[in-house]
Amino acid sequence: MAAAMELRCWGGDWGLPSVHTDSLIVLAYAKFCGANVTVSPIDWTWKTITASVPELFCGDSTVQEPAQILNFMRKQRLNADYELTARQGADTMAYIALLEEKLRPALLHTFWVDAENYANLTRPWFASRSPFPLNFLVPCRHANIALSRILLTKGEAPLHRISEMEGKIYSDAKECLNLLSYRLGAAKYFFGNSPTSLDAFVFGFLAPLEKANLPSSPLLSHLRQLENLTGFCDNILAAFFSSDRPYG
Amino acid sequence: MSLAAEAFVSQLAAAEPWPENATLYQPLKEDQILLSDHASSLAVQAYLRMCGLPVQVLCRVNSEFMSPSGKIPFIHVGNQVVSELGPIVQFTKAKGHSLSDGLDDVQRAEMKAYMELVNNMLLTAELYIQWCDDATAAEISRPRYSSPYSWPLSKILAYQKQWEVRRKMNAIGWGGKTLQQVYEDVSQCCQALSQRLGMQPYFFNKQPTELDALVFGHLFTILTTRLTSSELAERVKSYSNLLSFCRRIEQTYFEDKSS
Repeated sequence: MAAAMELRCWGGDWGLPSVHTDSLIVLAYAKFCGANVTVSPIDWTWKTITASVPELFCGDSTVQEPAQILNFMRKQRLNADYELTARQGADTMAYIALLEEKLRPALLHTFWVDAENYANLTRPWFASRSPFPLNFLVPCRHANIALSRILLTKGEAPLHRISEMEGKIYSDAKECLNLLSYRLGAAKYFFGNSPTSLDAFVFGFLAPLEKANLPSSPLLSHLRQLENLTGFCDNILAAFFSSDRPYG
Repeated sequence: MSLAAEAFVSQLAAAEPWPENATLYQPLKEDQILLSDHASSLAVQAYLRMCGLPVQVLCRVNSEFMSPSGKIPFIHVGNQVVSELGPIVQFTKAKGHSLSDGLDDVQRAEMKAYMELVNNMLLTAELYIQWCDDATAAEISRPRYSSPYSWPLSKILAYQKQWEVRRKMNAIGWGGKTLQQVYEDVSQCCQALSQRLGMQPYFFNKQPTELDALVFGHLFTILTTRLTSSELAERVKSYSNLLSFCRRIEQTYFEDKSS
């Protein structure tokens, strides 16, 4: 069996084991493949500013970034994608690229750039989970990183202002949600009857959007209309993250 | 462009048929154009040929600055200017020409996902190799990019572009990758494309779609461009069905025009 693994990630709230998309992806995958991972939330520690989240420690090695962590787990023979065909594996890569390109900018905008959401939900949450004096720094830093990422990847000269890109970002994200909904159809998971890494990624992206009490979100209203996607998230939460064992 | 502008352009586009004098602008082919721009331009040319729409390719030194979004290539049709493959596909669709009408919803979702895969992995890798790898940037990218301009403009423009691209790579997390890791990513992307293509003539069996045009543009350019090291081309060559796919599209859509 694999050596003991420790995962450093943001803590949970709103019925989720973690509020951070990338951490949630890794937690979900760990549950799907039955990995024995101890979770150490970085809340209320100085790691909120120093560590890059999520981070997996196994013996002497450290791995960061969800894609790398999932690769590492697969090498340790914790493979939720074992039964996929080669073509399904290729489809997984393609859909993950779709999520990253189309959905991530909109999620970053919803949580970190949209003024109402940021002031009423995101900043208080992250500030309350960081020790003094980091509670002033951590939310600002994340917001700046989010804004610069959106501007650099989606900004087209001369439209360098965020307000002009909002419409495009949200319409791309709604289209992405529609495409995911078509692909999922009436099935329980994206490939067959057991969840795979694509399910982990989709869950990680959609669950915070669905469960956080966002004051204003056109994207959330669109997601709520796609019942198979909301059912998908609730299903995974109930099956793998039931309330008596939040971390397993 | 913003949503309102897009809707306006679509409405105008639908009004007129495709003219004979449509033109496509790109940087100079021999001296100036870089790998990533050439790949994008070839993808658009392939798409227009697949739709059977005539377009004349014009090489201009300042194409990048003329383009409405700052990216190559752009087409000038009637009195509208549209850049990049995505908006061009929508524009031609508004005029009634489309390659993906025959696909159902799930197939269309797959097609869009694979197009994002190519943009996310292949295009980003091309940009990385051109501008973040010091050897390639110094020997090939900077000299080529600034070749039409005289000193000191040439130095300023080349370094500005390099700085911009490196900033973007850092923002998306590619800044810390090594060249070997980038080659690995390209291999994985090619493997995914190869498995999706299988033994079929095109990605969605009998008819080519915009995905075929995009993949052809990138792979053909990688195979035929000389860089400081041939490892990128070697990685692509190891997938024989992708090679025959490129050859097939070249023969079907490009060779009959030049002969």
